[in-house]
Amino acid sequence: MRAVLIRGAGFAFLWWVLAEGRPDAWGLGLVAAVAGCVLSFRLLPPRHGGISFAGLLAFAAFFLWHSAKGGLQVATLALRPRPDLAPALLELPLSLAPGAPRVLMTAAIGLMPGTLGVCLEGDRLRLHVLDERLPAAAEAQALEKCIARVFAP
Amino acid sequence: MRSATMLEVASAALLLLGGFFYFAGTVGLLRFPDVYTRLHALAKVDNLGLGCVLAGLALQADSLTVAIKLLLIWPLALAASAGVGYAIARRAEALGIRPWRKEDQ
Repeated sequence: MRAVLIRGAGFAFLWWVLAEGRPDAWGLGLVAAVAGCVLSFRLLPPRHGGISFAGLLAFAAFFLWHSAKGGLQVATLALRPRPDLAPALLELPLSLAPGAPRVLMTAAIGLMPGTLGVCLEGDRLRLHVLDERLPAAAEAQALEKCIARVFAP
Repeated sequence: MRSATMLEVASAALLLLGGFFYFAGTVGLLRFPDVYTRLHALAKVDNLGLGCVLAGLALQADSLTVAIKLLLIWPLALAASAGVGYAIARRAEALGIRPWRKEDQ
């Protein structure tokens, strides 16, 4: 029931944003919000235990900061007279649960400094790193801890 | 300085910064040696550029909802480029493309 209210409010908010606050189309908006809600429950049933909002906020902050750092790092590498790259492949064992946590990890790692997910197989994630001299594995583990807190019951 | 001009200055600075990141990402795409390193340039730098451009535009928006709408584009594009980056890297590996190494030069 709680999940229905949260998702419903989310879709209603989305409609309010898309309609730019105009009140005259709320009839259609309600239909869209209910349809979106039904579809979201079919595609993504609520998880047992749900997700932690404090964990989600912490993840968002971590992600914003590190993805900005990652972008800046690649930008400076690209603009150097001689790009100083030392790429390598790296196997990372994951302790995250299968499903959404591992998928989020694989997606997010591509936007972190110097790492890109290449292949997720079971509990092992193969990474391509731009510079093997940097502590990519340690940073990936920090991200993993952050994601684990999002999905903690 | 009036707050309106302050906003305009901040907006212009963010737009210029965004343009700079797009430029750097494109330079990386052209200069980096193989598909994996180019994916790094494309996914990471372009997203930073898009974030700056959208934040700059949101500062100029006429209403709060338009500003939120602009900012919502960012997570959608992030999700798409993270997924696409992974898909291309995975396919490249499945095709047997070995990552570029410094020693090979």
